[in-house]
Amino acid sequence: MNQISTEEEQEEFHEEQDSLWRLALSPTLWALHFVICYGATTVFCADHILGADYLTTLRLGIGLLTIGVLAAIVWLGWGAWRQWDVVRDREWENDAGNNEDRHQFMGHAAFLLSLISAVGVIYVSLPVLLIASCA
Amino acid sequence: MTRRYPDVLQPEGTYPPTEDMLAEPVPQEVQEAQKKRLRAAWKTPQGWRYWSAVNNTEVGIWYTMTAFFFMLCAGILAVLMRTQLAVPENDFLDADRYNQFFTMHGSAMMFLFAVPMFEAISILLLPGMLGARDMPFPRLSAYGYWCFLIGGIFVFGSILFDSGPKAGWFMYPPLATKEEGIGPDVWLLGLSFIEVASIAAAVELIVGALKCRPPGMRVNIMPLYAWYVMVVGGMILFAFPPLIAGDFLFELERSFDWPFFDPVRGGDPMLWQHLFWIFGHPEVYIIFLPSIAIAAMIVPTVARTPIVGYSWIVLSAVGTGFLSFGLWVHHMFTTGLPQISLGFFSAASEAVVIPTGIQLFAFVATLMVGRVKMTLPMLWIAGALAIFVAGGLTGVMLAIVPFNWQAHDSYFVVAHLHYTLFGGMVFPVMAGVYYFFPFFRKKLLSETLGRWAFWLIFVGFNVTFLPMHLTGLKGMPRRIFTYPGSAGWDWLNMMSTVGAYITAAGFAVFVYDLLRPKAYQGQIKRNPWGGGTLEWAHDVPEEAWGNRSVPYITSRYPLWDQPKLVERMDAGRYYLPDAPEGKRETLITSVIDAKPLMVQRVTGPAWITMLAAFFTGGAFIFPTFHIYEPAIVCGAFAIVCVLYWLWTSTAQVPDQARKDVGLGLSLPTYASGPTSVGWWAVWITMLGDSTAFASLVFGFFFYWTARPDFITIGADHATGAAVALGVTLFVVSWAATVLAREVNKRSHITLARLALALAATCTVGGAGLIILSVLDLEPTTHVYPATMWALMVWLVAHALLGVIMQLYALAGSIFGKMTPQYDADLCNVTLFWHFMVLTALVTGFILGVAPRLLA
Repeated sequence: MNQISTEEEQEEFHEEQDSLWRLALSPTLWALHFVICYGATTVFCADHILGADYLTTLRLGIGLLTIGVLAAIVWLGWGAWRQWDVVRDREWENDAGNNEDRHQFMGHAAFLLSLISAVGVIYVSLPVLLIASCA
Repeated sequence: MTRRYPDVLQPEGTYPPTEDMLAEPVPQEVQEAQKKRLRAAWKTPQGWRYWSAVNNTEVGIWYTMTAFFFMLCAGILAVLMRTQLAVPENDFLDADRYNQFFTMHGSAMMFLFAVPMFEAISILLLPGMLGARDMPFPRLSAYGYWCFLIGGIFVFGSILFDSGPKAGWFMYPPLATKEEGIGPDVWLLGLSFIEVASIAAAVELIVGALKCRPPGMRVNIMPLYAWYVMVVGGMILFAFPPLIAGDFLFELERSFDWPFFDPVRGGDPMLWQHLFWIFGHPEVYIIFLPSIAIAAMIVPTVARTPIVGYSWIVLSAVGTGFLSFGLWVHHMFTTGLPQISLGFFSAASEAVVIPTGIQLFAFVATLMVGRVKMTLPMLWIAGALAIFVAGGLTGVMLAIVPFNWQAHDSYFVVAHLHYTLFGGMVFPVMAGVYYFFPFFRKKLLSETLGRWAFWLIFVGFNVTFLPMHLTGLKGMPRRIFTYPGSAGWDWLNMMSTVGAYITAAGFAVFVYDLLRPKAYQGQIKRNPWGGGTLEWAHDVPEEAWGNRSVPYITSRYPLWDQPKLVERMDAGRYYLPDAPEGKRETLITSVIDAKPLMVQRVTGPAWITMLAAFFTGGAFIFPTFHIYEPAIVCGAFAIVCVLYWLWTSTAQVPDQARKDVGLGLSLPTYASGPTSVGWWAVWITMLGDSTAFASLVFGFFFYWTARPDFITIGADHATGAAVALGVTLFVVSWAATVLAREVNKRSHITLARLALALAATCTVGGAGLIILSVLDLEPTTHVYPATMWALMVWLVAHALLGVIMQLYALAGSIFGKMTPQYDADLCNVTLFWHFMVLTALVTGFILGVAPRLLA
């Protein structure tokens, strides 16, 4: 737009459409992790496909995947934490209609979603730790 | 994507408005003249033409009342069933009728009440909350409503002819595939038809929440209701399509004997269970989230303080939306899946409790911070929280696999699901009716009758369902029409029946309150509850224009924080205060920061939507009776109606390229590509469509993992050469469509037309070759050829749509509806083709390559 010159517009954060998607990244990682766990277990536990018992391979594979996905979520969460920037300005609500609050709100929401996604990933990987049979 | 071209118009002028501009008064005579023109543009049709209305206030009321009517009908079935179960060995209903009743009770409550009610309420309320004039696609809402009405009457009506479905609302095969009569077909086709309406509403609501917010209403200050609507709309796109895919396979088996769920010929009933519950579990949250969103609007008002933990509630809505897709197998714990797999779903079921709990805590925190006034809506919300928490706790129990094995298919499950649905849906929606009634009827419901209704329903509900936990633990199975007196369940059942009658009495009081004449009330206060959100800037007495002018918003609770807002809205100080051309318009803003982007013409009253719904209904309803020719004719007429509707009222070449919208801002009147709402609608629809296609692909791989004999038996494959050539033609068609868009933008009109003609020809050729490739396979013999045929049918049906779109764009170019500058239609067709070429490539891979690799 041509004549935008008020205070709230001066601090420009370049995030239009993309930032809504960024909110969904951590939960999407959870979903991918979930689908791979479920799909891989189905394939590895169907004897007619692999013809032998590869349960240990499956458990190791899911373990490694879980570590990788958790690392990615932690990385996203860290980015979101810095975007929220709560340590510096101690603001929790971010309820003003300006760029800064919108930016920090997106960080806050993405951070919380990373937390819940990490919990979800840990929960979903527990059965592989605890159950050692396809029965 | 449009930014590459310099001739695309941008907004010009001042934004955001300065305080000086807002403070400048509008002369009285200007105000009156503007009001007169606006009123004329938004006038509701009178007399019998009233039914051609498409405005959200009319369609929203019809939609809510229809959904509520179906709810009452399904409730009557429940009371009749409770009457049958009052005493052991009762013969009030026979087994067959009882089966029809419980199937219809569940199906109607889910498909004809809970989901449509969300869509109805959102269509009714969302524009008000966003200060928008209307939803972006009013005729789509109307079309969805008429589809819902026709489909709902068809499905529910079947029970009056003793031919309703009777295999339970989840229709498990082989019981439902082998069932005599048309009951299952009514269910499959009637409800698929209604799902069309659901997806239409999802498109409407997502685009509404993303693109129709008032200027300045950024994502961090939009009403929580809009957040929930966006999440739920997204969930519908991923949850309903698997069911549509499942219905498609199921009906192919019922009508043409393609053995998808018949184990003798390689099929597997478990595929239906998966597809059904991939829909069915998220659906519970699709019902729950928008209802709890009503609570998120009411709680701050009664606590007279902003919501505590806005970000946390957004987290919980988005988080629940995702996690709810990882729960579906907890309905299938007793089907013998590997225990590790059960573990994944058990874990995810426990995890979803966290975000669900967070939002309840946020509500409680808000109530603790504020000074609560126990109004009638708050009473219902309090009841909702109590009941929902109880249902949530039994949910935690049922998510634990060994307990689930014990309680499976017993009345414990019936008690649990009614606690979650009454607490998570019925009570919050009732709260919403009391709270928003002054908004949509400009009258108040009775405080006294409301308290009577509340206590009757609250007590009646608990008397009905609390004992059912025990009935279930004592071993009474659900869905059996009677029980022996010796089982020791009789007093529990009697209690439940008494409770059901008390609940019914409560609803009777509510219905009376709703329908009784209220003229004596006179004019009510404009904001009777003292709410802070934008819907309470509504006009009393009613005006059809939505808002007098579209405000500039800088706060989550603008009515509390922006002191002169309502006064200035009324004076027409803000945007779009006038309708100089006598047309209906609303503002389109950007997704994140709600910067004004363009003025969107919205469509007015029309019969064509009703006609389109009528023919669409024919296309779904005739096949129920296995008569296909009239169905095909109806389908063709439906397409013609939709084409007429699009051609005459969407993406019109504007009479002026830009217009002044007030406050020194001038906006374009036309957009193509991602700035336009049509592009978003196509994108969202195709996301849902792709999910349905992915479900079919899932079916292929499911059979591969579930059945050792899936590919080896009937070793004939689709003809490789035909598949390869067919897919190539689809790719050429896609490339030609993209080329047409690009050269058209550069004003090479003839070249664009040639490219579109080539594209259409290639599409027809490609479809023909794909049909040819599977002709040698016999779909009734085994599930493998049946799967190949199903994929072929899916691709060819989409190719048909694809070629219609290409020809539509070609015709647009020839008859001047589409020009190099005004090319929204071609952009949307290209977007469809991006999805189409992906569908063709994947189908080609599965028809031609995958079987040869996996065999």
